Amino acid sequence: MISLLHFFNKVGELKEIPRKGWVLRGIKNPETIADHTFRATLMAWVLGKKKRLNMERLLKIGLIHDICEVYAGDTTPYDTILPKDKKKIAALMKTWPRFTDAEKRKIAAQKHKREKKGLEKLVADLPRELRAEIMNLWMDYENGLTPEGRFFKQADRLENFLQAIEYWKKYGKLAQKPWWIQARELIDDPVLLDFIKEIDTEFHKTKKPKN
Amino acid sequence: MPEKIFYITKEKFEEVKKEYKDLLVLEVKKAKGDIPKVFESEDINPEYVNFQEDLSFLRSRIAELESVIKNHEIIKKPENADVVGLGSKVTVDVDGEKDEFVIMGTLEANPSLGKISNESPVGRALVGHKVGEQIVVSSPIKTTYTIKRIKYFSA
Repeated sequence: MISLLHFFNKVGELKEIPRKGWVLRGIKNPETIADHTFRATLMAWVLGKKKRLNMERLLKIGLIHDICEVYAGDTTPYDTILPKDKKKIAALMKTWPRFTDAEKRKIAAQKHKREKKGLEKLVADLPRELRAEIMNLWMDYENGLTPEGRFFKQADRLENFLQAIEYWKKYGKLAQKPWWIQARELIDDPVLLDFIKEIDTEFHKTKKPKN
Repeated sequence: MPEKIFYITKEKFEEVKKEYKDLLVLEVKKAKGDIPKVFESEDINPEYVNFQEDLSFLRSRIAELESVIKNHEIIKKPENADVVGLGSKVTVDVDGEKDEFVIMGTLEANPSLGKISNESPVGRALVGHKVGEQIVVSSPIKTTYTIKRIKYFSA
């Protein structure tokens, strides 16, 4: 039982860690990793009802998908090209970074390695079966091994997208373009694409984004 | 509702068939309680997925592989290789910046590696277009993709 207590203690730290993408954009009191996990899992469940999915598996993937970040830290697509100057960071955040094939492979491999190591450390003292289950669920999320793993990966991006549009509405200055580029290149699930249309209609009734 | 067709490369399909065969063997051994202490072979689990401890995952994965084997279509080089299609590598200029996408079926799509799905809005918009053509996605913010080069690898 003590190993479970230590695990919950450590995972609880995610309630205090702000998501890095919002910190870089200067959002005040941004959502934490746990905040994001809560809504991404809820969205996956509710929107996933329209599909034939193993709900238990889907929800478990949602719950564990970012717990590695307690050791590995949060990652953004901008990390490898992040300037030191605040003005330059602000300018970079208005764009969607493009990389060569070799850079894409290197960035993805380093992120995967760091996060896997973080997760292994976090679950190291858990009972054997639970440890294996969590590692497998995470591998599924990372590599899209089942329909649930693939659907959650996209629901995760959709939650991030919705948060961006909400911050745009709240603070006005946030550039929407990088989020739309991501959504159009990264998401292919028809249920989630329909939901993106809803977001567009609802949030842009009176005001259209400029950039 | 018709079953979804998985558009898949020949190489990936060979991997799927092999993994399916190996996992069925593991499932039978597990049912008999006759499991070698360490079954995870590099062949099945290049990344160490521990099916031995997790029967529910083993069954989910077998069901997934069965579905792919039953409902797949191998991606072939089209007769008209001048247009973007499944299996093509497309070099684009996106609002002045260069990027490269390989157009894949949803199963093999991995946008962080530049493999985008033919069912994603950008994938769908690029398919059928030629070098020099511009695709403008404008709702709600305009992004222009200009096709610079199209290359097919699979025969």
